[in-house]
Amino acid sequence: MTPDTVVIGAGLAGLTCALRLTEGGCKVAVVAAGAGSLHLGGATIDILGYDPAVVTSPAAALGSFIRSHPGHPYMRVAPSLWAGALEWLRARCEPLQLTGSLDENLMLPTAAGALKPSALAPRSLAAGDLGSGGKLALVSFSALKDFYPRLAAANLNRAQPGPTERVEARAIDLHGTVAGEADPGTLRLARAFEEAAFRDEIVARLKGRIEPGERVGFPAVLGLHRSPEVVAELAERIGEAVFEIPTLPPSIPGMRLHALLNRALRKAGGRVVMGASVVSSASHNGRLEAVSTDTGSRRSSHGARDFVVATGGVSAGGVTLDSSWRFKESALDLPLAGVPPPGTERFCADVFGSHPVSRVGVAVDEEWRPLDADGRVVYNNVRVCGATLAGAEPHKEMSGNGISLVTGYAVADAILRS
Amino acid sequence: MKTIEAEVLVIGGGATGAGVLRDVCMRGYGGLLVERSDLATGTSGRFHGLLHSGGRYAVKDPSSAKECMDENRVLRRIAADCIEDTSGYFVTTEKDDPSYSDLFVDGCRRAGIPVEEISVSAALNAEPRLSPRISRVLQVPDAAIDAWKTVWGCVRSASDHGGRALPYHKVTGILREGDIVVGAVVEDRAGDEVRIRAGFTINASGAWAAQIAALAGCGGFTILPGRGIMIAMGHRLVDTVINRCQMPTDGDILVPIRTVSVIGTTDEEASDPDDLRILQDEVDRMLADGETLVPGFRQVRALRVWAGVRPLFKDEKAESSSTREVSRSHRLLDHHDRDGVEGFITITGGKFTTFRRMAQDSVDIMGAQLKDERACHTHEEALPDSEERTYYKLGSRLAAREERLHDEQIICECELIGRRALENAMQRRGSSDLDDIRRTLRLGMGPCQGGFCIYRSAGILHSLQRIDAASATASLRDFLQERWKGLHPILYGDGLRQARLDDWIFQGLLNVEQLQS
Repeated sequence: MTPDTVVIGAGLAGLTCALRLTEGGCKVAVVAAGAGSLHLGGATIDILGYDPAVVTSPAAALGSFIRSHPGHPYMRVAPSLWAGALEWLRARCEPLQLTGSLDENLMLPTAAGALKPSALAPRSLAAGDLGSGGKLALVSFSALKDFYPRLAAANLNRAQPGPTERVEARAIDLHGTVAGEADPGTLRLARAFEEAAFRDEIVARLKGRIEPGERVGFPAVLGLHRSPEVVAELAERIGEAVFEIPTLPPSIPGMRLHALLNRALRKAGGRVVMGASVVSSASHNGRLEAVSTDTGSRRSSHGARDFVVATGGVSAGGVTLDSSWRFKESALDLPLAGVPPPGTERFCADVFGSHPVSRVGVAVDEEWRPLDADGRVVYNNVRVCGATLAGAEPHKEMSGNGISLVTGYAVADAILRS
Repeated sequence: MKTIEAEVLVIGGGATGAGVLRDVCMRGYGGLLVERSDLATGTSGRFHGLLHSGGRYAVKDPSSAKECMDENRVLRRIAADCIEDTSGYFVTTEKDDPSYSDLFVDGCRRAGIPVEEISVSAALNAEPRLSPRISRVLQVPDAAIDAWKTVWGCVRSASDHGGRALPYHKVTGILREGDIVVGAVVEDRAGDEVRIRAGFTINASGAWAAQIAALAGCGGFTILPGRGIMIAMGHRLVDTVINRCQMPTDGDILVPIRTVSVIGTTDEEASDPDDLRILQDEVDRMLADGETLVPGFRQVRALRVWAGVRPLFKDEKAESSSTREVSRSHRLLDHHDRDGVEGFITITGGKFTTFRRMAQDSVDIMGAQLKDERACHTHEEALPDSEERTYYKLGSRLAAREERLHDEQIICECELIGRRALENAMQRRGSSDLDDIRRTLRLGMGPCQGGFCIYRSAGILHSLQRIDAASATASLRDFLQERWKGLHPILYGDGLRQARLDDWIFQGLLNVEQLQS
């Protein structure tokens, strides 16, 4: 079967694009080197958190943000698509009960005790929203090295910038090993929480330690694929609202979201080839005809009418930099925009500063097709979405998954329209 | 103002100062050391980790070469746990003048350095990543030495003999009564002044020695800071120290130390010993030079780059335009003879390898001035943890870890640091500065450069109730900022990917930038 569209990359952008195309009647094959960044990045859909002051309402802020950030991926997103993209994802991830909207950012507590603005988050995370303040009891396990509730609670109790009401947080340490392991890790804990006996033990150990009106925050390990039931059961038995706070990678909420989208795609008839890096491509008259992938054991060629590059940015390997300071788009060697000229700074001296490297990526036209330095379309049938796009600083803007979702959705829209 | 009394005050907490402290204490004096920052953070903690055989100086500076070899033997005896017995090759690459190698062999023989020619094929067999385009290989007893462990070992040994070291005590003035130096005024970490009254003061501040001597009114010499950069590459490319067999120049040495390989170094004349800038051009030259020794070097992940300053002594009358030509042998300034000032000497110059000898010479001069000559024993007694005289072996941390694999958490996976070791170090150091803990344990020094372990360490530091959340957060942020200095000039390939992930963790996931510290 020759697919209509080959999507390169299986992160949030690639899966969104592939699933929407499949639902729209296209035959889609996803080829991906790895599982994408959801496992590392997490499941909150951050649309716009800072500009540079904290953003209360992405819907209200996007207009002026786009005007003041020419070349940003959001510039190409039609205003009519925004709400649709979020609703589309909400419907595909029904078990996660994605909560929030473009109108008001949630203010979610982080594992360091800061607040993080997100437009949309799985309900288990969104239940920790501190936009209106509140009393929190943060529970953790001394055996878990990736979450420190005492530090988080103490920082939450300090003055925080942003639109927050009074926060009162405290920590409850559950000492001892978990399931007999001294160093269990988040994935091990998530699996433990899917066992009834383990939940019984946790509920028993918390008995009498939660005060009325306190929301109970756990590290984000409350079950892997059965998390909605786990969270609901804990809340019922503890008698107060229960929420999760993301830990260091790997991200359990990210794994849940990734698994849901992957399953939805396969169920809808999409094909996914993992462990397949694009090593070469063939083109003719400005059209890409096929990409070749190397899966270690063999090479395969994938031809299609349309191609989508959703390989991610520098952190995912979609854009590389070698020791001679040459940037490269790794799948198709597309021209890159925003590359710091030789002899200029790639980074600034402040570790949290605005680093020129973050903006390097592929520039696109209004149809999401890659452009060269002179603004000419490189391939008529290739479109680019997600972190491979030039012009964003997702970590500083708090826009990472937002860019991936919205541009992946918009690229599918563009292909379906064509 | 608080006043502390000491028989002998040592200024400078590098290898020389720590060696002097140990020496005076072992000779029965009450010694006190002050250091403006943490121990071994000036030049001693910023070199490539080579324990010289002396081969590097065999041709152009035979007396330095001999001194290196003598001290190499001593340190192998007293500081075995700090040393990995890597051995060293001097290789003639296609870019080197082949006639140098005969001069090298003669130089080694004259300096008493055991040198043995081995076949190119045997060398390539032992070091398969080495360039096959080498034409001659000469083996000498070079080794790798852990600077922090050595300096801390000297301080621990000194404290066993009654001595004490005060890191983060910066000298702001030298106390003089007439022509006699009677101690110093220092500023502690909180910014409070402390007066130290001492019977004798030894200035062992290396590249900063002229600044300290000037505070005592002693001048007439300068220290030329020769700034050089080194790059730690992500794993062990070689297990033997590799030198190019040529007159010492830039980028001609690769030292396997701990889990990394360090390439060094450049030599730029600086005007200020605190100028530790890293130029892009130096990084590029170093990567190209690495390729000459190990083909494929540029594809390897670079972990970190740093600069250190060599203290190169220059008397005002001497003339020199290039810092590399200035003698590397150490200089002892008896300010009584030079300036008519009693109770004060300066030791500077030299090399890490010869720090113990420098200390011995200094304390001998002190004894002569005090007319109280006592014998030196620093070459006889082993440092703590080196009593067994077994060398450090790569993999010993892993072996120890495997025995306790299921007993405790690994907080820093890259350097295999367990929770107990981390908590012990935090308690023992009494410091809330995660960078101090890093130097004690190598925390955050592996491929992820603190991406995972530093949030954990800040959480643990806070849970030990040593500091409040604001200070723990500040310590985390300071650590990241300090690491960043040595990261961004070498970020490419997988190192860049890792740095972007780390950035996501701290900005996107934890949002620590928004936390007020």
